[in-house]
Amino acid sequence: MSDQSHIGHDLAPGEEEQHSVGTRILGYIVGLALALLLTATSFFIAGTDLVWQPSIPVALIVLAIAQMGVHLVFFLHITTGPDNTNNVLALAFGLLVVFLVVGGTVWIMAHLNANMPPMDQIMMRQ
Amino acid sequence: MPAVRTVEAMMLGKLDWSAVPFDQPIPLIAGAIVLVAILGVLVWVVAKGHLPYLWHEWITSVDHKRIGVMYILLASVMLLRGGSDAIMMRIQQAVAYQSQGYLPPEHYNQIFSAHGTIMIFFVAMPFVIGLMNLVVPLQLGVRDVAFPTLNSVGFWLTATGALLVNISLVVGEFARTGWLAFPPLSELSYSPGVGVDYYAWSLQISGVGTLVAGINLVTTVLKLRTKGMNYLRMPMFCWTTLASNLLIVAAFPILTATLAMLLLDRYLGFHFFTNEAGGNVMMFMNLIWAWGHPEVYILVLPAFGIFSEVVSTFSHKALFGYRSMVLATMAICVISFMVWLHHFFTMGAGPDVNAIFGIASMIIAVPTGVKIYNWLFTMYGGRIRFATPMLWAVGFMVTFIVGGLTGVLLAVPPADFMLHNSMFLVAHFHNVIIGGVLFGAFAGFEYWFPKAFGFRLDERWGKAAFWFTILGFFITFVPLYVAGMLGMTRRMQHYDVASWRPWMIVAAVGMAVLTIGVVCQIVQLVVSIRNREALRDRTGDPWDGRSLEWATSSPPPVFNFAFNPDVRGEDAYWDMKVHAQQQSLQRDGPEYQDIEMPRNSPTGFVCAFFATIMGFALIWHIWWMVILGGLGAFATFVVFAWRDHDEYVIPAEEVAAIDGINLEERRSLVSMAGTV
Repeated sequence: MSDQSHIGHDLAPGEEEQHSVGTRILGYIVGLALALLLTATSFFIAGTDLVWQPSIPVALIVLAIAQMGVHLVFFLHITTGPDNTNNVLALAFGLLVVFLVVGGTVWIMAHLNANMPPMDQIMMRQ
Repeated sequence: MPAVRTVEAMMLGKLDWSAVPFDQPIPLIAGAIVLVAILGVLVWVVAKGHLPYLWHEWITSVDHKRIGVMYILLASVMLLRGGSDAIMMRIQQAVAYQSQGYLPPEHYNQIFSAHGTIMIFFVAMPFVIGLMNLVVPLQLGVRDVAFPTLNSVGFWLTATGALLVNISLVVGEFARTGWLAFPPLSELSYSPGVGVDYYAWSLQISGVGTLVAGINLVTTVLKLRTKGMNYLRMPMFCWTTLASNLLIVAAFPILTATLAMLLLDRYLGFHFFTNEAGGNVMMFMNLIWAWGHPEVYILVLPAFGIFSEVVSTFSHKALFGYRSMVLATMAICVISFMVWLHHFFTMGAGPDVNAIFGIASMIIAVPTGVKIYNWLFTMYGGRIRFATPMLWAVGFMVTFIVGGLTGVLLAVPPADFMLHNSMFLVAHFHNVIIGGVLFGAFAGFEYWFPKAFGFRLDERWGKAAFWFTILGFFITFVPLYVAGMLGMTRRMQHYDVASWRPWMIVAAVGMAVLTIGVVCQIVQLVVSIRNREALRDRTGDPWDGRSLEWATSSPPPVFNFAFNPDVRGEDAYWDMKVHAQQQSLQRDGPEYQDIEMPRNSPTGFVCAFFATIMGFALIWHIWWMVILGGLGAFATFVVFAWRDHDEYVIPAEEVAAIDGINLEERRSLVSMAGTV
């Protein structure tokens, strides 16, 4: 952002469309198809016994992240173009905060009993 | 008559005459005085015929400067309310040695809860948001914030929250749970009254206001800058505003979600934070502090920005280490999300967790230290004028260093286990919040008052206010450090330990000195308004300022700048003065153009009116009124969304007339600055 002329071009999501209506609709249709495909795959994976069972949760997480990516690119119009710097930075900051708060919370809550006597061992001895 | 009871319950929910504390004289008298004062002001306004002016020029205004002033007015009024609570607490602890004192326990508990809640949410927050609103668009060289009507909505929702807290004084009660309403005490089984509901709903409503203000200011800084004002030419206050509001946007949803879960527990029998049925009390501490620590930096970062502006202006020098200051600000912005566990080291998450968060808490002191050194080096070799804003800035540096060092001490987990929830902690956070945020707010108030109103504040009373405040501050809070070391815990209604007594008495004396400081500030305002002709600021640049807010008249016209300034470097206005480059100053007859400005809108006020009804009804379980308030607020939004005309045009001749007056005054100033 060294040049001021960038500011005029740095638009909010959805504002930047200079293309024809046809191109835009095509983008949304591709997005919808991908989203539906990912959703259908998730449901299929969850109920199938074609794959190794322990891999199912991992597969679901991967599909969910892919789903988020599809939404961001096709519906929220996050791109890597120079007109999108602010949006990408905002997304990165949001992800960082979510990672810190959620990760920190999980870590803290998992250690809540660190200063407690080991109850399970005491119970077993009795 | 059970049928009558049912109808009454439907119409009025939990509300009946027992809600008014007829048996407690103190809140009743205080409430009556406030009510009489409000009614008196209203009658005076209506009788004098000021109501249309107030409605058209202030209440419905979407001008960022007016909204900023209203934020600061709200904060000042609530500062008096929160300060009264503080005086009552200091007197109680001074007299309640081996006795009950003069405040019954349930009343004392409400007072310290209300004091904390008011001071953070309705004094510190509106004060800094008000200053940011007033100054940031001017410093960026633009005509308004990104969303002017949303700005008004944000302010009025904050006012709604403040109003609900004050209604609790007379109708019902306030929370007795401390300012963060920790469960299980705040759950229905231990706090069956409406106190916690007053607390939670007023914070939910004002929290929405704060969030929209945050979104608005982030968008303003990122999207609305004048020509040439790229990121690394922005004044420091704009940077700290950006960081602070990014934190608002990231952190306030956590507060809203946490309080929503507490409310679900209380209203619908959920078990998020109860002891039974799988709830987890500790999750509340975790979530509330995940908001609460960034909140500390939301408050203090704008204050750092104010001090940067003040120190540089009154040292007659550019800010030392501008880029390191930017880096430090953004580092604090991120690290503030990595330290929240230090508020509950004693919860017992074990040495690994405590050590990591303790180290992170010490690391965040590093960028803060960078800032302190930058201010010192800015002063070094400068031509320093000790005007009132500069006094507050220097007082801040001394006070804040003490507060910061005790903070680093508390960041050591083993030490924290000794000092947790002691008076030492109370002294520490008052040391950083008063010494940092409040001194910053006062410095900003003194510094930008001429810009907002067109005349300076009286220096003699301002300096008296400073000396009484800083002296009173140390006399009040140094004894609390000592009492904490002697083992006194916070929030004690009475105590039997002889060695604490003298310190509590000294603290009460300090409180009296602090009060004199506040009185001086009020007198200063009155004296300055009386002498406003003598104190008039005709040039718009009373302090020989460096940033763009001083490049327009005081008070600025509604459109701020007749021409969008063209920025060529850091310290934009200083640059213009030295090189006398401002084109509008050089040209004899500048070609003025029509200016489009957003129209005023009652949307914010009407929205907040319905939000007040809805909040009050939610607190008292009056469900028909909740629906009414909700529908009203939604209808207001729909009417606003379907509006046809949202802008009006100021014709070029009018712009020329307004700008011409200031231009004459300013030309002489520019020739003077050019000779320096």
